[in-house]
Amino acid sequence: MGEVLAYIGLVIVGVFLLYKTFKTDDRRYIYLAVGIFVIFPFFIPLDIPVIVSPETQQLYDAVEALPDSSTVLLTFDYYASALPETEPMSRAALHHLFRKDCKVVTLTTIPLGGPSISEDVTREMAEIYGKEYGIDFVNLGYKANYVAVLKGMGSVIDIIYPTDNSGTPLSEIPMMKDIKNYSDIDFIYVVSDNGIVDYWMSIVNAQYQIEVGCGVTAVMAPKYYAYIGSGQMTGLLGGMKGAAEYERLIGKKDEATKGMGAQSLVHLFIIFSVLAGNIIFFFERRKRFNQAGGAR
Amino acid sequence: MVVSFFFRAEGSFLGRIEPEILSWVTIVGGFTLLLGVVSIVRVNYTAVKRKADGWGYKLATLISVFVIAIPAMLPTGWSDQFGRGDGSIYKWLFNYLDAPMMATMFAMLAFYIASAAFRAFRARNAEATLLLITAIIVMLWRVPMGEEFLLSIHPDIPGWINTYIMGGANLAVQRGIIIGAALGAAAMALRIMLGIERTYMGK
Repeated sequence: MGEVLAYIGLVIVGVFLLYKTFKTDDRRYIYLAVGIFVIFPFFIPLDIPVIVSPETQQLYDAVEALPDSSTVLLTFDYYASALPETEPMSRAALHHLFRKDCKVVTLTTIPLGGPSISEDVTREMAEIYGKEYGIDFVNLGYKANYVAVLKGMGSVIDIIYPTDNSGTPLSEIPMMKDIKNYSDIDFIYVVSDNGIVDYWMSIVNAQYQIEVGCGVTAVMAPKYYAYIGSGQMTGLLGGMKGAAEYERLIGKKDEATKGMGAQSLVHLFIIFSVLAGNIIFFFERRKRFNQAGGAR
Repeated sequence: MVVSFFFRAEGSFLGRIEPEILSWVTIVGGFTLLLGVVSIVRVNYTAVKRKADGWGYKLATLISVFVIAIPAMLPTGWSDQFGRGDGSIYKWLFNYLDAPMMATMFAMLAFYIASAAFRAFRARNAEATLLLITAIIVMLWRVPMGEEFLLSIHPDIPGWINTYIMGGANLAVQRGIIIGAALGAAAMALRIMLGIERTYMGK
């Protein structure tokens, strides 16, 4: 009951701030409202059921269908700015892959922070599942010029990556003894916040016929429906909602699921403010029209 | 590289030299990063030296470049705080300064979008009205609370949005853009390779 009252109060505050914006034309009221709507659900969480989309289900099913101990290449192609959307995808993917005892090879095409993010997230998840570096997972790190990296790994991985992220030669890493190029990789799981996804599709999927599934930010997702429609991409996670759907499928409600409350409220607030703005616009236009008619 | 994109070159001379050439390309890519650092230092150093407008910010850029890069490059044998491992200066700066600042910049978009949507997203004509209605439907569909609301109207609405808006109109438009951009990129690459396009060299 207390929660309901709190959310009724929140709605009243939102409407009041919107009204103040109308009256004063001061956009800071809208900024304040968005801030409150983002923060509020973290103190009083909203338990909203997440419905799984067909694209997320497709990605989950593709990973689920891999035989245990398959080799999966997981990419961390994102900057720190997109962490709230993309990191939950990486975590959910690692939960799923380690649970299936898959061998995970990670890499990044992002020089600024990419290697650190992949190292931290993978080691944290590996610790949960008792996985050992070099036996169950390897972090290849970053190499410049992603087109050459993606193409070169199709021939010989250790020419492009002679060492892993910490400088150990690949020849000394037990897991990499059987992984020479894409033909030794069963699935590629791309998590990205930029256009590198196109290259994973056009170079790796199209030329080496490796299944590629992707997790991308919400603004990028509409573009990749083209690859889903053509059957080239095996599943797509769109933004934090996609990550929350995947968390639901693997049964690990985590950061993305927690973020759904804030995202829902802010979306609804924006929709409400757009509708309110249009209603006012409509009445103002009608008033102007009537005034002009009266003048004639 | 271009030829190997079109032909299966395993076993041939081309197939043998391809990995080597690709390895060279990654090395050249590494040097382009170095070139970027040199360029940043040169441009900002000149501005600071001349006390140009905003020279204080440029000085901050220069200090940031060196403070984050030098400890990351120094050997870990000298100190645990060098290199890029746990407990290093680089890692601390990345986790507690760089990542939050980047996230903050990106998160500010939400505030600007909310303000811009409220002030500028108007149903002024038929096209704008269509865009407005579609945007509202997709925004509702992309969040669980909105999806629940749509389900309460009709259980098939989320499926229809996925099929007809995202997998229909959106897919068709995105496919057109992707194919158009790819043709444009191929034409531009051809112009560069034939020496017709030389603006990238400053000519």
